[in-house]
Amino acid sequence: MFDPKLPPMLSEIQLACLQAQTRRHFLRSLGGGLGTLFVGTMAASFAPSAKAAGSETAALDFSRDPSTPLSPLPPQFPAKVRRVIYLHMAGAPSQLELFEHKPELKRFDGQDCPASFLAGKRFAFISGVPKLLGSQYPFHQAGQSGQWISDRLPHLERRVDDICFIKSMRTDQFNHAPAQLLVQTGNPRLGYPSFGSWVVYGLGTENQNLPGFIVLLSGGKNPDGGKQLWSSGFLPSVYQGVQCRSHGEPVLYLDNPQGVSRSLRRSMLDTIDDINQQTYATFGNPETVTRIAQYEMAFRMQMDATDAMDIRKEPDSVHAQYGSKPGEASFANNCLVARRLAERGVRFIQLYHWGWDSHGADAKEALNLGFNDRCREVDQPTAALLSDLKSRGLLEDTLLVWGGEFGRTPMRENRGGQEMKYVGRDHNPGAFTIWLAGGGVKSGISYGETDEMGYEIVKNPVEIRDLHATTLYLLGFDHHKLNFRFQGLEQKLTSVKPARVVAEILT
Amino acid sequence: MTAPNRKGMLSQFRLGFVMLASMLVVTLLVVFLPPDGNERADWVQFIGRFHPLVVHFPIALFLLVPILEIVGRSARFTYLRLSVKFVLALATVGATTAAILGWCLARSGGYSGRLITQHMWGGVVLSIICWVCCLLRMRLRELGVTYTIALALGVGLVAWTGYRGGQLSLGPNHLTEQMPDGLRNLLRLEPSRATSASADPSTFYGARIQPIFTARCITCHGEDKHKGNLRLDSYRALMRGGKDGPVIQTGNTQASNLFRRITLPASDDDFMPRGKQPLSADQVKMIELWIGAGASDTLAVNAIKNALSGSAVPADVKFEEIDRAAVAKLRSAIAPLVSQLQKQFPNILDYDSRSSADLRLNASTFGSKFGDRDLEAFAPIAEHIVVADLSRTTISDHSAAVIATMKRLRVLRLMDTRLTNATLLRLESLNQLESLDVYATPITPRVLPTIAKLPKLSHFYVGRTGIQPGKSVPEDLVGKLVF
Repeated sequence: MFDPKLPPMLSEIQLACLQAQTRRHFLRSLGGGLGTLFVGTMAASFAPSAKAAGSETAALDFSRDPSTPLSPLPPQFPAKVRRVIYLHMAGAPSQLELFEHKPELKRFDGQDCPASFLAGKRFAFISGVPKLLGSQYPFHQAGQSGQWISDRLPHLERRVDDICFIKSMRTDQFNHAPAQLLVQTGNPRLGYPSFGSWVVYGLGTENQNLPGFIVLLSGGKNPDGGKQLWSSGFLPSVYQGVQCRSHGEPVLYLDNPQGVSRSLRRSMLDTIDDINQQTYATFGNPETVTRIAQYEMAFRMQMDATDAMDIRKEPDSVHAQYGSKPGEASFANNCLVARRLAERGVRFIQLYHWGWDSHGADAKEALNLGFNDRCREVDQPTAALLSDLKSRGLLEDTLLVWGGEFGRTPMRENRGGQEMKYVGRDHNPGAFTIWLAGGGVKSGISYGETDEMGYEIVKNPVEIRDLHATTLYLLGFDHHKLNFRFQGLEQKLTSVKPARVVAEILT
Repeated sequence: MTAPNRKGMLSQFRLGFVMLASMLVVTLLVVFLPPDGNERADWVQFIGRFHPLVVHFPIALFLLVPILEIVGRSARFTYLRLSVKFVLALATVGATTAAILGWCLARSGGYSGRLITQHMWGGVVLSIICWVCCLLRMRLRELGVTYTIALALGVGLVAWTGYRGGQLSLGPNHLTEQMPDGLRNLLRLEPSRATSASADPSTFYGARIQPIFTARCITCHGEDKHKGNLRLDSYRALMRGGKDGPVIQTGNTQASNLFRRITLPASDDDFMPRGKQPLSADQVKMIELWIGAGASDTLAVNAIKNALSGSAVPADVKFEEIDRAAVAKLRSAIAPLVSQLQKQFPNILDYDSRSSADLRLNASTFGSKFGDRDLEAFAPIAEHIVVADLSRTTISDHSAAVIATMKRLRVLRLMDTRLTNATLLRLESLNQLESLDVYATPITPRVLPTIAKLPKLSHFYVGRTGIQPGKSVPEDLVGKLVF
């Protein structure tokens, strides 16, 4: 401000200061300023990553209201299947006794294994020079499609025209726990979300009174991979698999304790919810809201889950079809429950059977003894589940997956270099069979081939991540896009190696 | 002038004369023995390979001259101008040497085409300009107009010839190829990758083969540089072949020179692309299949894939990007209604996918809590529903009218409901229906003639109904009934 009262000298200085912003100063800062503006506006197009982030199509939005974390979301593009039933045969069933017809191997039965089979290979138990072992059971062609199958699966054989065999599955893990983790989480190490968790994260679930991802065990031995196989890893914990039992309370501690009525339970839950809400208001951790939602779901499940799991409500004819007996823990019961859950809109249903680890170290796991029991336990229920889903029209938008975590060797296991009392095979990560049935998958075909000994893949190998990518594709996702940002990486089920959708098996 | 000076002048003129002679030689070579695309003696090529190495010296030296001249005008740096003559003479020698080496490379390395001619003449003229500048500068103390013009011309020519040389070795648009799109827009250039030869993408050649050539071969066998007189930038040029005749024998992979040379070991003299990464196994396979199938440019893109049913060429799945604006536009008419219904009936109505405005209704999870009145609420959006699952609900034949308006239904599930023949007889209008499920309903064979008229139906699930296997079934339904 120019103050007339100030001495003239000072006002002159002030004026000089004002004039110090000369034309040159103006132009100089103009140049820089305009340049900065230009760089600012162009930055988005200069940096490809910035462009990708700004682009609308780059990422899919999976965010939901934290109070309804399981609400359904549409798939990325029109889906062929709406739900998955995964029948995991823990222990790795021998493909050479079930689906892989290898007459040449039979011809060399009992002869020393060629050195080329052993060079550079690691085995769990085989040592020295093992003998080749032909299939223990006769094979024949079945169905209109004329696919080869052994005589161990007489019920399933009648559904062979609904099945797509992938005979060229491959894994890089030769021990059960990491191999199971690889199949179920896309990664052989702990801490990654399971297949089912990813699917429920991506699609939610239609029936809010049941979990979206249910796991059923056949009794017997639990899978080596443990509960990690259905964990949600770094995904919000609400997406983890819920292990249900096929007898008694479907979920442990779901029923009200004696002397506690449903209304008392309700008021108790309301109080807990209040406390949790306060915690959420203080700390803002979304896991708190998830916890509230879980309590609420458990309350709703008291009715619906009990009903869904109660196979006593099924007529005798259905029990005869599945071979199920209410009240026991069995694969047959679980198959029937799986169908009931599929009808009720459960997104991902996972069954684990056990005892397929046919090393031949004892009678229970011998190819000539225990293996037969396993076949009997799964054959009829699996076939019944397939045909039941089909007649109810559910198979056209359900994907059924059947398989283990790796294959078995064409060599007879010789633990410690000795011939063993029972017949068995060692682990073979190099080739195994998994079959698919259901919507969007060609039926009555075999994809991929192994060599004449059934030892290594010679045509169309399919990695576990390819199977994952293919399944996600059927569910309506580009496997790159079903991702979750964690530790600075867009984490996905198929992990970081490139995965391929096996388009050849799609309809 | 003193004696030593005159002596100096003389030797300078002698040098100038030698340079003139060698320049004449280059010019004559270039005029009478131009590069013609044929490869020649190895040793000439060996010498020629030094061209890219040598050429940078005269460029740097010549560009130094104007700098010395300009900076030398300042009083503090006058001494710089003393070295101008020396630098110019050196540049002239260098430029002439580079031109001769360039000719060696072009003549023996199998180059020909517009680009090489331009680059070559640029080089020749540039060395002449160097020489002229040199002569002028020796006579001048101050900057003459002619000298200045010659110098400016030279600088321009260095830039132009150098750019042409870059195009020869790095591809015709090596400077703009990686330009960010922002700058590209600013300069109004074509978007990147629009340069590949436009072959019909619906043909196998256009979709699978030409892209391989464009990516891996046309730097040397393209519009601007046709080594071995071979061009691979169009189907016609490819089939015409090179200096040794055709490179493709239709239907005969082994007799096709092109295939033979891309499959040689990389150490072989004839291996292509020479000095670069071999083609990938997939690319080789693709070319093999295409030649084997007759090497036609009209063969459909999926013809080969189908013939081999995916055994050799992995089938690819296309992941479409979602255009959110387009989807929002599609949904705009029904969006408010849909979100209102989603609030009223949580979790049972949703879009078929993130990229579509089609709807899918699954009331089965509501079970007995969903009846005729509830279904009526969906009547306004009935035509957008493509999948409807009403299984286990309490709807009755009163809902037939609403269901009949769902004209775009592909899948209709009515399992475990009270619906009777009356409803099914009204479904004639559902001409998009592919799958109809009436499992465990009181339906009887009386509906079969009506259902048989549905043009797209492929599955009719009739388990636990009045329809039994083995009874007479209308011809149109044979193989579609599932019990």
